[in-house]
Amino acid sequence: MLDMALPLIMDALANAALIFFVAVGLTLVFSVQRILNVAHGSFYSIGAYIAASMGLWLISAGLNPWLSFPALLLSAALVAMVLGPLVERTLIRWTYGRHEAIQILVTFGLFLILEDLQRLVFGVRSIYQDTPMALLGVTEIGGIFYLNYQLLLIVLALAVLFGMRFLIKHTRLGRLLVAVVADREVSLAMGINTDRAFVIAFTLGVFLAALGGALATPTTGVAPGLGAETMVLAFAVAAIGGLGQIEGAAVASIIVAGAKVLAVYYAPAFDTVAPFLVMLAVLLVRPNGLFGTATTRKI
Amino acid sequence: MKHIVRTAGTLMASLVLATQAMAQDKPEQIDVGVFTFTSGAPAAYGQPGAQGAELMVDLINAAGGIDGVPLRATIVDEAQGAEGVIAEYRRLAGETSYQVMIAALSSSNCLALAPVAEQMQMPTISWNCDTHQLFLDQQLDYTFRPNGNTIPEFVAYVAYLLQVNPDIERVAIINPDYAFGHDAAEIVKAAFRAFKPDVEIVAELFPSLGASSYQTEVSRLSAARPDAIFSNLWGADLENFVRQAQPRGLLTQSQTVLALGETILQRIDLPDGVIVGMLGDGYWLTPDAQANEDTVAFAEEYATRFGEYPVFPTMKMANSFMVMKAAYEAAIEANNGEWPSRDEIAAALEGIETATFTGTARLREDNDGYVDQVIGVTGPSDTYDFSVITNMVRYDGEALMAPLGEDPIAWIETLTPEFLETLPEPGSYN
Repeated sequence: MLDMALPLIMDALANAALIFFVAVGLTLVFSVQRILNVAHGSFYSIGAYIAASMGLWLISAGLNPWLSFPALLLSAALVAMVLGPLVERTLIRWTYGRHEAIQILVTFGLFLILEDLQRLVFGVRSIYQDTPMALLGVTEIGGIFYLNYQLLLIVLALAVLFGMRFLIKHTRLGRLLVAVVADREVSLAMGINTDRAFVIAFTLGVFLAALGGALATPTTGVAPGLGAETMVLAFAVAAIGGLGQIEGAAVASIIVAGAKVLAVYYAPAFDTVAPFLVMLAVLLVRPNGLFGTATTRKI
Repeated sequence: MKHIVRTAGTLMASLVLATQAMAQDKPEQIDVGVFTFTSGAPAAYGQPGAQGAELMVDLINAAGGIDGVPLRATIVDEAQGAEGVIAEYRRLAGETSYQVMIAALSSSNCLALAPVAEQMQMPTISWNCDTHQLFLDQQLDYTFRPNGNTIPEFVAYVAYLLQVNPDIERVAIINPDYAFGHDAAEIVKAAFRAFKPDVEIVAELFPSLGASSYQTEVSRLSAARPDAIFSNLWGADLENFVRQAQPRGLLTQSQTVLALGETILQRIDLPDGVIVGMLGDGYWLTPDAQANEDTVAFAEEYATRFGEYPVFPTMKMANSFMVMKAAYEAAIEANNGEWPSRDEIAAALEGIETATFTGTARLREDNDGYVDQVIGVTGPSDTYDFSVITNMVRYDGEALMAPLGEDPIAWIETLTPEFLETLPEPGSYN
């Protein structure tokens, strides 16, 4: 058991890092806009497809392979800049103030449309772009070779966590978002452009999802279904951490990833269901998640 | 009233069946339903099969069709799920121009379609159906499997592994989480119990079908320190796993067995010495395949048209078309040159033995096939810029099949270590 502890922790953190990017975007959008965006997983997979395509293009064009790193970030930014404002100002804005069921149906419809569009544009075969992974090499930890890229993901997830904290606590934009979260009507009365705040928050959410997808490409194949697979885990994270909680998303990502990894190590038959069993256990004890409360709204 | 309706219904059904059973006029075209995956993760395996069907239709038609009648294949995507596949099958089988189906890739779809084939009395050639459960405890008169099945396939891998590594003690398994993966694990474990009972299974993983990340599984397998790793992952799953496992040294840390590994040889630079196979004999670079000028021409034409050489799903599909063509020709001959009915084609398929691109397809009494198993290890090629299979062996398919009527798993456990000595040596088929 003990000799497995180190690899188990490493795997849990590396898995948690990838889930965190998606979950924190999901929770940010929910926190500010009160929308449970089912299409969030599609932004993840679109980010992955764009990043893989851009990376493959860079390599085929004979450019410096190290450019594939900034290409990951650029892909996520592109997806966010195009899809963020477009989707928020059309479909999402239409759902504000409507029943939650309508919001879920609309975003689920968007998810289905985006999934089909991806098949149309990128085809059905898996796409692989593993140059960043190959460039960084491996490190032996506890007798097991880990990709240095996996370690980089952990560092990047921490950077996003602290970056989000800094944004909310120490920037004007962050304070503006907090004000909108606390009371939209009062914010509006005080002259805050809440529509703009919503676009920014949604675009940031899309960026985080697309960044997760882009960062996943060097270690996974990109194929139809990737978005749904990740989205389900992101929902589990959001439920465990408490919807709208950034620190909650971070802790819950580690819990969900840890449950999955523990299952792979000691009870492989339960590896798919383990995160949801944990979610069930948490929600039975704390229906609003570990960090969530029934009344307050915070980010 | 009820009685009249029932009688009328029975009469009409009898008329339909009688009409189908009667010899038919020679059609202007032969329609064939071909079921495979053309979308989703399994398309990495299914699409080469669809391309094989496309090329076979063109080649057969260029040579004059079957008895002068051209073929037309209707490709059905199995990714729509069993209900959709059954609905498509029924729709096509309802048209008289369809006299044979080539279905299916997925074992679960094969199992779902078998009773429908019986009900609709439609001769169905299982081009890739591997599950040994297909003919277990049921008599199928219209379903024919001229390819191998999970029993000889996975017993063969254990045999090869123990022939080249007789000292292995610790084995890990990573298979897809559905019937094909779990059945294979049971067969592999039964074979180890028979051939080398002291082998310990140190890890048994079943990642979801279509999983995108295998990083945790790679860590778990590395941590287990197995002497050998067995896997029947396939298609995009296999490619994903190998791409993630290889940089982390897993494929060289342990003797890896990739039962369906031939499909990725042209796409991934595998290290030398990985045991790979193709579930049957459908490798286009075996001595038998290369000695057949039709096979060589097929492979070259395939490479020209599709940009890579055929993989074993392609060859399985092509071989199924050859079996179908042979059955048509035999049925026409048996029918004194008249165009045969579905029943007459089914009768021709019973016990058929015919040459294929890669060997011989032979059906026994229960319509299950004897197909040789070819296995080898990855190695460099003088001719191609990708790894090829070296140190090959060709096991007799019949020797690895449970006798008719016997429980296959129970039969495997009756085998002894001495059985391995009766098999040809690795490297004897090069």
